[in-house]
Amino acid sequence: MDYLWLKAIHVAAAVTWIGGMLATGLVVTMVPASQHKRSAGELPMLEAIRRWDQRVTSPAMLIVWGLGITVAVKAGWFSSPWLMIKLMIVLLLSVLHAMLSGTLRRMAGDSGHASPALLRYAAPLTIAAVALIAILAVAKPF
Amino acid sequence: MSASSNHTLPQSDRSQERGQLRRMRYVSLLEGTTLVTLVFVAVPLKHLGGYPAATAILGPIHGAAFLFYVWMLSQTISAGDWATREIVRMIAAAFIPFGAFANERALKRKEDAMAVTV
Repeated sequence: MDYLWLKAIHVAAAVTWIGGMLATGLVVTMVPASQHKRSAGELPMLEAIRRWDQRVTSPAMLIVWGLGITVAVKAGWFSSPWLMIKLMIVLLLSVLHAMLSGTLRRMAGDSGHASPALLRYAAPLTIAAVALIAILAVAKPF
Repeated sequence: MSASSNHTLPQSDRSQERGQLRRMRYVSLLEGTTLVTLVFVAVPLKHLGGYPAATAILGPIHGAAFLFYVWMLSQTISAGDWATREIVRMIAAAFIPFGAFANERALKRKEDAMAVTV
Protein backbone atom coordinates (compact mmCIF):
# COMPACT_ATOMS: atom_id res chain seq x y z
CA MET A 1 0.00 0.00 0.00
CA ASP A 2 1.12 3.53 -0.74
CA TYR A 3 3.13 5.28 2.02
CA LEU A 4 0.68 8.19 2.30
CA TRP A 5 -2.30 5.84 2.67
CA LEU A 6 -0.52 3.85 5.37
CA LYS A 7 0.37 7.07 7.19
CA ALA A 8 -3.19 8.42 6.90
CA ILE A 9 -4.71 5.23 8.38
CA HIS A 10 -1.99 5.19 11.07
CA VAL A 11 -2.86 8.77 12.11
CA ALA A 12 -6.64 8.07 12.06
CA ALA A 13 -6.12 4.98 14.25
CA ALA A 14 -3.87 6.99 16.62
CA VAL A 15 -6.56 9.68 17.04
CA THR A 16 -9.15 6.95 17.80
CA TRP A 17 -6.80 5.25 20.28
CA ILE A 18 -5.93 8.45 22.15
CA GLY A 19 -9.58 9.61 22.22
CA GLY A 20 -10.58 6.29 23.78
CA MET A 21 -7.72 6.46 26.28
CA LEU A 22 -8.74 9.95 27.39
CA ALA A 23 -12.36 8.86 27.87
CA THR A 24 -11.27 5.78 29.85
CA GLY A 25 -8.80 7.85 31.88
CA LEU A 26 -11.46 10.38 32.85
CA VAL A 27 -13.96 7.67 33.83
CA VAL A 28 -11.41 5.75 35.92
CA THR A 29 -10.46 9.00 37.67
CA MET A 30 -13.97 10.32 38.27
CA VAL A 31 -15.94 7.20 39.21
CA PRO A 32 -15.20 6.47 42.87
CA ALA A 33 -13.87 3.07 43.94
CA SER A 34 -16.68 1.04 45.42
CA GLN A 35 -16.60 -1.58 48.13
CA HIS A 36 -20.32 -2.21 47.61
CA LYS A 37 -22.62 -2.79 44.65
CA ARG A 38 -22.37 -0.11 41.97
CA SER A 39 -25.25 2.33 41.64
CA ALA A 40 -27.76 1.83 38.82
CA GLY A 41 -26.23 4.69 36.83
CA GLU A 42 -22.57 3.72 37.22
CA LEU A 43 -22.66 0.14 36.01
CA PRO A 44 -24.12 0.77 32.51
CA MET A 45 -21.63 3.62 31.97
CA LEU A 46 -18.66 1.50 33.09
CA GLU A 47 -19.85 -1.37 30.89
CA ALA A 48 -20.32 0.94 27.88
CA ILE A 49 -16.82 2.41 28.24
CA ARG A 50 -15.40 -1.07 28.73
CA ARG A 51 -17.11 -2.35 25.54
CA TRP A 52 -15.81 0.69 23.63
CA ASP A 53 -12.31 -0.02 24.93
CA GLN A 54 -12.52 -3.67 23.83
CA ARG A 55 -14.10 -3.10 20.43
CA VAL A 56 -12.68 0.26 19.31
CA THR A 57 -9.81 1.62 21.43
CA SER A 58 -7.74 -1.57 21.75
CA PRO A 59 -8.09 -2.58 18.05
CA ALA A 60 -7.14 1.01 17.11
CA MET A 61 -3.97 0.63 19.20
CA LEU A 62 -3.11 -2.61 17.39
CA ILE A 63 -3.58 -0.85 14.03
CA VAL A 64 -1.31 1.99 15.23
CA TRP A 65 1.44 -0.49 16.13
CA GLY A 66 1.06 -2.59 12.98
CA LEU A 67 1.03 0.32 10.54
CA GLY A 68 3.65 2.28 12.51
CA ILE A 69 6.11 -0.60 12.30
CA THR A 70 5.26 -1.13 8.60
CA VAL A 71 5.81 2.55 7.75
CA ALA A 72 9.10 2.64 9.73
CA VAL A 73 10.39 -0.49 7.96
CA LYS A 74 9.38 0.82 4.51
CA ALA A 75 10.99 4.21 5.16
CA GLY A 76 14.15 2.74 6.73
CA TRP A 77 13.78 4.77 9.93
CA PHE A 78 14.70 2.06 12.43
CA SER A 79 18.23 3.46 12.87
CA SER A 80 16.94 6.99 13.58
CA PRO A 81 17.18 8.18 17.23
CA TRP A 82 13.88 10.09 17.01
CA LEU A 83 12.05 6.87 16.17
CA MET A 84 13.64 4.96 19.06
CA ILE A 85 12.51 7.68 21.50
CA LYS A 86 9.04 7.72 19.90
CA LEU A 87 8.79 3.92 20.24
CA MET A 88 9.67 4.14 23.94
CA ILE A 89 6.96 6.75 24.50
CA VAL A 90 4.44 4.64 22.53
CA LEU A 91 5.36 1.62 24.67
CA LEU A 92 4.80 3.63 27.89
CA LEU A 93 1.52 4.97 26.48
CA SER A 94 0.47 1.38 25.68
CA VAL A 95 1.29 0.29 29.25
CA LEU A 96 -0.78 3.21 30.58
CA HIS A 97 -3.66 2.16 28.33
CA ALA A 98 -3.37 -1.45 29.54
CA MET A 99 -3.46 -0.27 33.18
CA LEU A 100 -6.56 1.81 32.45
CA SER A 101 -8.17 -1.09 30.63
CA GLY A 102 -7.42 -3.59 33.43
CA THR A 103 -8.62 -1.20 36.13
CA LEU A 104 -11.83 -0.49 34.21
CA ARG A 105 -12.47 -4.24 33.88
CA ARG A 106 -12.22 -4.71 37.64
CA MET A 107 -14.22 -1.53 38.40
CA ALA A 108 -17.07 -2.83 36.26
CA GLY A 109 -16.99 -6.15 38.12
CA ASP A 110 -18.99 -7.12 41.16
CA SER A 111 -16.16 -6.61 43.65
CA GLY A 112 -15.43 -2.95 42.84
CA HIS A 113 -11.79 -1.88 42.63
CA ALA A 114 -9.66 1.07 43.68
CA SER A 115 -7.65 2.54 40.80
CA PRO A 116 -3.85 2.82 41.15
CA ALA A 117 -2.66 6.30 42.22
CA LEU A 118 -0.74 6.81 38.95
CA LEU A 119 -4.01 6.67 36.99
CA ARG A 120 -5.15 9.94 38.58
CA TYR A 121 -2.72 11.57 36.14
CA ALA A 122 -3.68 9.37 33.16
CA ALA A 123 -5.27 12.15 31.10
CA PRO A 124 -2.46 14.76 31.46
CA LEU A 125 0.18 12.03 30.95
CA THR A 126 -1.59 10.93 27.75
CA ILE A 127 -1.70 14.49 26.39
CA ALA A 128 1.99 15.08 27.25
CA ALA A 129 2.99 11.83 25.54
CA VAL A 130 0.96 12.67 22.42
CA ALA A 131 2.57 16.13 22.24
CA LEU A 132 6.06 14.59 22.39
CA ILE A 133 5.15 11.96 19.78
CA ALA A 134 3.77 14.63 17.43
CA ILE A 135 6.97 16.70 17.74
CA LEU A 136 9.19 13.66 17.13
CA ALA A 137 7.15 12.33 14.20
CA VAL A 138 6.65 15.65 12.41
CA ALA A 139 9.88 17.56 13.11
CA LYS A 140 12.17 14.47 13.29
CA PRO A 141 14.67 16.61 15.25
CA PHE A 142 17.50 14.02 15.36
CA MET B 1 -2.69 -13.03 42.20
CA SER B 2 -2.49 -14.96 45.42
CA ALA B 3 -4.87 -17.84 45.94
CA SER B 4 -6.36 -16.27 49.06
CA SER B 5 -7.30 -13.04 47.27
CA ASN B 6 -8.76 -15.07 44.37
CA HIS B 7 -11.29 -16.58 46.72
CA THR B 8 -12.47 -13.19 47.96
CA LEU B 9 -13.60 -12.31 44.41
CA PRO B 10 -17.24 -12.88 43.44
CA GLN B 11 -17.87 -15.78 41.02
CA SER B 12 -18.52 -13.43 38.04
CA ASP B 13 -15.20 -11.62 38.61
CA ARG B 14 -13.32 -14.90 38.93
CA SER B 15 -14.80 -16.04 35.65
CA GLN B 16 -13.59 -12.80 34.01
CA GLU B 17 -10.13 -13.20 35.51
CA ARG B 18 -9.91 -16.75 34.20
CA GLY B 19 -10.78 -15.49 30.72
CA GLN B 20 -8.07 -12.84 30.99
CA LEU B 21 -5.49 -15.41 32.17
CA ARG B 22 -6.43 -17.70 29.26
CA ARG B 23 -5.91 -14.88 26.73
CA MET B 24 -2.63 -14.01 28.47
CA ARG B 25 -1.49 -17.64 28.02
CA TYR B 26 -2.14 -17.48 24.26
CA VAL B 27 -0.25 -14.20 23.93
CA SER B 28 2.63 -15.65 25.97
CA LEU B 29 2.80 -18.61 23.57
CA LEU B 30 2.74 -16.25 20.57
CA GLU B 31 5.57 -14.13 21.98
CA GLY B 32 7.62 -17.21 22.89
CA THR B 33 7.14 -18.81 19.47
CA THR B 34 8.22 -15.69 17.56
CA LEU B 35 11.30 -15.30 19.84
CA VAL B 36 12.37 -18.93 19.37
CA THR B 37 11.83 -18.67 15.59
CA LEU B 38 13.81 -15.44 15.45
CA VAL B 39 16.74 -16.72 17.52
CA PHE B 40 16.96 -20.31 16.26
CA VAL B 41 15.78 -19.97 12.64
CA ALA B 42 16.06 -16.40 11.33
CA VAL B 43 19.40 -15.47 12.94
CA PRO B 44 21.22 -18.67 11.74
CA LEU B 45 19.66 -18.17 8.30
CA LYS B 46 21.08 -14.63 8.21
CA HIS B 47 24.58 -15.40 9.50
CA LEU B 48 25.11 -18.96 8.22
CA GLY B 49 22.81 -19.13 5.22
CA GLY B 50 23.23 -15.62 3.86
CA TYR B 51 19.51 -14.74 4.05
CA PRO B 52 19.30 -11.35 5.80
CA ALA B 53 15.63 -11.12 4.79
CA ALA B 54 14.82 -13.72 7.47
CA THR B 55 15.61 -11.35 10.36
CA ALA B 56 14.27 -8.34 8.44
CA ILE B 57 10.87 -10.08 8.33
CA LEU B 58 10.81 -11.86 11.69
CA GLY B 59 12.38 -9.00 13.68
CA PRO B 60 9.40 -6.64 13.34
CA ILE B 61 6.94 -9.55 13.78
CA HIS B 62 8.58 -10.49 17.08
CA GLY B 63 8.72 -6.79 18.04
CA ALA B 64 4.96 -6.51 17.56
CA ALA B 65 4.35 -9.77 19.48
CA PHE B 66 6.55 -8.52 22.34
CA LEU B 67 4.68 -5.20 22.47
CA PHE B 68 1.39 -7.08 22.59
CA TYR B 69 2.74 -9.30 25.39
CA VAL B 70 3.80 -6.25 27.46
CA TRP B 71 0.39 -4.67 26.86
CA MET B 72 -1.55 -7.80 27.86
CA LEU B 73 0.66 -8.35 30.92
CA SER B 74 0.12 -4.74 32.08
CA GLN B 75 -3.64 -5.17 31.61
CA THR B 76 -3.71 -8.51 33.47
CA ILE B 77 -1.63 -7.21 36.38
CA SER B 78 -3.69 -4.01 36.73
CA ALA B 79 -6.90 -5.91 37.37
CA GLY B 80 -5.44 -8.32 39.92
CA ASP B 81 -3.33 -8.53 43.04
CA TRP B 82 -0.05 -9.85 41.66
CA ALA B 83 3.06 -10.29 43.81
CA THR B 84 6.15 -8.35 42.67
CA ARG B 85 8.05 -11.66 42.36
CA GLU B 86 5.43 -12.95 39.89
CA ILE B 87 5.54 -9.77 37.80
CA VAL B 88 9.36 -9.81 37.62
CA ARG B 89 9.26 -13.45 36.56
CA MET B 90 6.70 -12.77 33.80
CA ILE B 91 8.82 -9.90 32.42
CA ALA B 92 12.20 -11.64 32.70
CA ALA B 93 11.01 -14.86 31.06
CA ALA B 94 9.84 -12.94 27.98
CA PHE B 95 13.47 -12.11 27.15
CA ILE B 96 14.68 -15.72 27.40
CA PRO B 97 14.01 -18.23 24.59
CA PHE B 98 11.54 -20.86 25.88
CA GLY B 99 10.91 -18.68 28.99
CA ALA B 100 7.46 -17.81 27.69
CA PHE B 101 6.51 -21.49 27.68
CA ALA B 102 7.33 -21.70 31.42
CA ASN B 103 5.22 -18.56 31.87
CA GLU B 104 2.35 -20.25 30.05
CA ARG B 105 2.44 -23.13 32.54
CA ALA B 106 2.47 -20.69 35.49
CA LEU B 107 -0.51 -18.84 34.01
CA LYS B 108 -2.36 -22.15 33.54
CA ARG B 109 -1.80 -22.99 37.22
CA LYS B 110 -3.21 -19.57 38.21
CA GLU B 111 -6.18 -20.10 35.94
CA ASP B 112 -6.86 -23.53 37.47
CA ALA B 113 -6.52 -22.11 41.01
CA MET B 114 -9.08 -19.45 40.08
CA ALA B 115 -11.55 -22.19 39.09
CA VAL B 116 -11.57 -23.63 42.63
CA THR B 117 -14.83 -22.77 44.33
CA VAL B 118 -15.19 -22.02 48.02
